[in-house]
Amino acid sequence: MNRDEPVRVAVLGAGLIGIDLLTRIQRSPSLDCRLVVGRNDQARGLRSAAELGCSTAANGIESLIAAPSPFDIVFDATNALSHAEHWARLQPLGTTLIDLTPSMVGHMVVPTVNAGDAAAHANVNLISCGGQAAIPILYRLAKRYQCDYIELVTTAATRSVGRATRLNLDEYIGTTQSAIRAFTGVDHVKTIVNLSPARPAAMFRVALSIVAPGLELEPVRSLVAAAADEVRAFVPGYRVTACTVTEERAFVAVEVAASGGRIPRYAGNLDIINSAAVLIAQQHAASRVPLTAGEVS
Amino acid sequence: MNQSAPAGVGDSRQVLIYDPSLRDGHHAVRHRLDKNQLRAYAAAADAAGVPVVEVGHGNGLAASSLQVGLAKLTDAEMQTVVRDALSHSKMAVFMLPGWGTTTDLREAIARGADIVRIGVHCTESDLTERYLDFLREAGVEAQGVLLMSHMASPQRLAEECAQMVRFGATGVGIFDSAGHYLPDDVSERIAAITGAVDVPVIFHGHNNLGMAVANSVAAVAAGSGIIDGCARGFGAGAGNTQLEVVVPVLERLGYTTGIDLYALLDAADIAERELMPTPPTISSVSLVSGLAGVFSGFKDRVLDVARREGVDPRDVFFELGRRQIVAGQEDLIVDVAIALREAAGVPA
Repeated sequence: MNRDEPVRVAVLGAGLIGIDLLTRIQRSPSLDCRLVVGRNDQARGLRSAAELGCSTAANGIESLIAAPSPFDIVFDATNALSHAEHWARLQPLGTTLIDLTPSMVGHMVVPTVNAGDAAAHANVNLISCGGQAAIPILYRLAKRYQCDYIELVTTAATRSVGRATRLNLDEYIGTTQSAIRAFTGVDHVKTIVNLSPARPAAMFRVALSIVAPGLELEPVRSLVAAAADEVRAFVPGYRVTACTVTEERAFVAVEVAASGGRIPRYAGNLDIINSAAVLIAQQHAASRVPLTAGEVS
Repeated sequence: MNQSAPAGVGDSRQVLIYDPSLRDGHHAVRHRLDKNQLRAYAAAADAAGVPVVEVGHGNGLAASSLQVGLAKLTDAEMQTVVRDALSHSKMAVFMLPGWGTTTDLREAIARGADIVRIGVHCTESDLTERYLDFLREAGVEAQGVLLMSHMASPQRLAEECAQMVRFGATGVGIFDSAGHYLPDDVSERIAAITGAVDVPVIFHGHNNLGMAVANSVAAVAAGSGIIDGCARGFGAGAGNTQLEVVVPVLERLGYTTGIDLYALLDAADIAERELMPTPPTISSVSLVSGLAGVFSGFKDRVLDVARREGVDPRDVFFELGRRQIVAGQEDLIVDVAIALREAAGVPA
């Protein structure tokens, strides 16, 4: 790769996530989106991608393999059950995968916790939108307290949840729970997913319940606030809306408003995982290209 | 039905009675039924010839949580006890996608569940696709039900039900989760659904406005083939359609249920004595909950939180209704109560 040129990337999947991701990649000077790939039944998403000025193809993974030269990074925005095959096909080409599906195949990364790990892995998994919103806070709380139980309830607006996610609820729950266990060391973990049909649409929300001896409001509040500040560095709409401690139980609610993309404000679920994906890709680019001012390192 | 009142008018048509007392009733006792309670009622329902007995946490498989309430027993314990207590009745379980997963379905089937119901918010039937697919492959009876169905039009409900039939459901229908319907609402919706599908149509009533039995009668008249009822109405909020009432009422109207009246009344007496501190009643807050169109299962949590925050639980219910909160969103009750307290200028 020519070190003066932006990193060549492609987006696999032309659903809600894929198209929002494209708009974010297009704003990043270090990333050049050369192709958005969908399937025949994603004509609408592919049309949006074309309107955004990106080349498109409709033959799934085959379209990526058929490209004249391999991409440096491919974002997998398809579905959890297809990712393993995508990885098997792209790995021999030396392509780095950033996986936005809850496949549990690649190395799990939450930027504010272990972004540094990403460089050492050619397949980075971003867990789930709920995992991205919850783990920064849970990680800090679990470092301070011996937690007995963690419960995560995510609520996304129905309109912000596409078909692949709807068919992947098992993987969404399983992968999110595994990630929480891995990042916190707490075994007893539960994840619940709600969809809200309310109009106007409800903001993406995660509600966390943590059971641990010795919880006190002030230290919990400051740990939560510090975690939120870190996330806000790349997800400006991340906001703690409730933080209470009663006896041995903390309750923390976070809302994520989307900003900067083409998606509506309520779709913070798309914003947080896509912002994480772009951040990791930029970091990957920065490791090869000298940093320019203003770029996220 | 034996020992029934003289047959009434109309053609004799079979109605399948489905009894979720040991699942929905859990909402009324904070999900704390023990093995003896489950065993006693399941055996009594079985003896009465109730065709289907559903068991589980109030929100179904894998739903024991701080969000809704920690169950006394595990899913495995509940299913095993009830399975052992049933000799004729089928055992059913309930699952909300996003709460339980395919693993929970597989385990329930291995423990002898004959019928699995997948419940989704009334506009989200595509969430049932994967599970109905799995259940069809597994060879169990799979039903798809739409919760909080007053929030969608009859036409939309019919489309969602037709989609679940395409996914493989062998029965589909609607829950009046908020107890909001009046009989004409039910007639219109059930007629729309029966016109769109060729499988039995389910109606599950709640009694917040005192309409559960009347609504169930309207549902059957409009073509429903499966009616849910709970002993003494044991269930969320103001309770469900009262089983031992709706059965003889349907029989008088000329429908057959195959249930023995005296044994059914005995089962209801056992339920009242063994399962509940007191039978559900249309309390003032439950009435408001029905008017506001809020999930009946929120009652206890709303009362707890309203007391703690010093706000009127009726205001909480109307605000939850305004925000179109659906089943499972218990975490928002706290937000709403705090917002109301702050709006009233009362410090924490």
